[in-house]
Amino acid sequence: MDFSELLIQTLINGILIGGLYAVMVLGFSVIWGVMGVINLSHGDFLMVGAYLTWVLNKQYGFEPFVALFLVMPAMFLFGYLLQRLLINRIIERPPLIALLVTYGLGISMASTVKLMYTANPRITTTQFSGYLEFGNVVLPVTKSLVLVAALVMMVGLFVFLKYTRFGKSIRAAAQNKEAARMVGIEIDRVYAITFAICIALTGAAGMLLSPLGSISPFMGGAWTLKAFAITAMSGLGNIPGALFGGMVLGLVENLLATFVPGVGAGVGIISSFVLLVLVLVTRPQGLFGGLRAAQEIR
Amino acid sequence: MDRIIAIIQGIVFSRRTHIILLVILVLMPLLHFGRESCKDEGQLAAMIPEASCSYLIDEKPVTNATLLTFTQMFILIILASNWNLTGGFTGYIDFGHAVFFGIGAFATANLMGASRWEEWPALLSDWSFWPAMAAGGLVAALFALMIGSATLRLKGPYFSIAMLGTLVAVREIVRVSKNFSGGGLGLNLPIYLNRPMFYYLSLTIMVLIIGFISWLRKTEFGASLVAIREDEVGAEMRGINTTLHKIAAFGTAAFITGSVGGMWAYQNTFIDADIAFQQTRTIDMVMMSMLGGLGTVAGPVLGSTVMFWLRDVVWSNFLLYHQIFEGILLIIIVLFVPEGIMGMFDRENSGTSLNQIIKGWFPKSSPDEEDSQ
Repeated sequence: MDFSELLIQTLINGILIGGLYAVMVLGFSVIWGVMGVINLSHGDFLMVGAYLTWVLNKQYGFEPFVALFLVMPAMFLFGYLLQRLLINRIIERPPLIALLVTYGLGISMASTVKLMYTANPRITTTQFSGYLEFGNVVLPVTKSLVLVAALVMMVGLFVFLKYTRFGKSIRAAAQNKEAARMVGIEIDRVYAITFAICIALTGAAGMLLSPLGSISPFMGGAWTLKAFAITAMSGLGNIPGALFGGMVLGLVENLLATFVPGVGAGVGIISSFVLLVLVLVTRPQGLFGGLRAAQEIR
Repeated sequence: MDRIIAIIQGIVFSRRTHIILLVILVLMPLLHFGRESCKDEGQLAAMIPEASCSYLIDEKPVTNATLLTFTQMFILIILASNWNLTGGFTGYIDFGHAVFFGIGAFATANLMGASRWEEWPALLSDWSFWPAMAAGGLVAALFALMIGSATLRLKGPYFSIAMLGTLVAVREIVRVSKNFSGGGLGLNLPIYLNRPMFYYLSLTIMVLIIGFISWLRKTEFGASLVAIREDEVGAEMRGINTTLHKIAAFGTAAFITGSVGGMWAYQNTFIDADIAFQQTRTIDMVMMSMLGGLGTVAGPVLGSTVMFWLRDVVWSNFLLYHQIFEGILLIIIVLFVPEGIMGMFDRENSGTSLNQIIKGWFPKSSPDEEDSQ
């Protein structure tokens, strides 16, 4: 395998994992954009989705990609209830409150999962495994399927937000809450459904993750960090931006892991942190100007 | 109700109580000497009520376990008070403060000759504990200056998350750099099991830190920090060099946290990346400061003590569920008592505040300081 083939292989891997990152980040950035809540338990919702898939896969013998159709409604319900019970109370309050509450929520979820299924790393098994070979370059089937599923979900969300009546009311609520209320949009209901959709998407991302790498109860923090890094690059609720940011992170991660010796598994976290600080310090508004000004968030 | 609160205030805030408490805390380990007291050393989670009984009623001698428990409580009080310097006074909520703790711990461990790297310079090895601890603090402070000059430009939640990212990233970097951290093996420090020494050391540091912070709060520097929290742009317009103040407060907090990390490492005798950079340690600091009252001097002390009691009870009764409980407790505190214990007292009687405690300890300080809650 010569250098150019290695490079192409690395780029392919980066793009394939980038799709997962992109769909993972959507829930985070839409919740932030619409409700102004920075969800620090985002990675833990991902973990819950992944564990749900694992249980369905190991105990009931579901194919992970089929389990998706059970995981998403379950997570939708979970998100809806959580929003009604808890998140609704913190939307109007200072962002620090939201940070702390979601952080506490994350700790509780991770510990509950740890209590139920121990801290051992898990992985689901899918029938769609193996490789398609093109010369020396290979295309892993599972990862490709993950990318396809991620793209379908992103297009679905895009169409939903852009063309349906409810999607329009979500965008209206994000732009100007008072005006939306005035024209008769039920803000509370919009928030609850938005949160539920985002949690369902995050759970789906957890499902997509589960056959690729090991899952464990305390993996949430690293994923929240990645979500934040991508959101800082792409802007809030910006779907094409999320795709771009996810690809960038996936590519950077894979290039570093391949061509810099001795960094190993931690490289994703480190590179997303470096990207995050770079973007935040140099362009606080995000690369595409999608983040609100810091004053407004405060 | 008002009467009850007034009585509680009288007890909690009176100078006599503090002196009695201090005397008890100083004398307690003396009971430890000259007795066959190390029998139940294995009971690590000795409950505080039990511990207090032991020196008040004197049925049981003070054990090493009791000393260890109290040492841990003092460490938590120090950490929370320190965190409060940036988080409470300046208003920059730091979700990654444990990073300085871990860096201090690793620096101290390496300087004391725990390094597993054969090429570790001999000059930087086999130091005795005191200089190593101070150096641990210095390394943490240097790191704080570096990272703070980038992250302290960020506002509000951006700062919090950048610091959370710092914690997660530094943990990974330390784990990967095997020469420094020993990788998965961790580092073993020289074993030194003198519990009374650590007890007194942490007690001394705690008293010094509380004194230092309550003094700092009264100086122009402390007032500037609070001004930054209230209105950063306004503070800058009044001629306060906000960046300098923020970084100075950040560095000071990091120095103390790093030294305490070094002390903790020596006491613990073993560290690795996971336990030195524990995420729960950060959330402890946030939670305890919030429970007591952000931006007050006494808040973190009160909050840490109450929290430590609570946690010990939960720990000894529902060991498996304690982390779930902690998350839920954080949510409850934030939703229902965001101003903390001090805030509750203030609302009932605006005449009583942290300053009364400080006045009790430092009678000569100026009485007209504005309260900051």
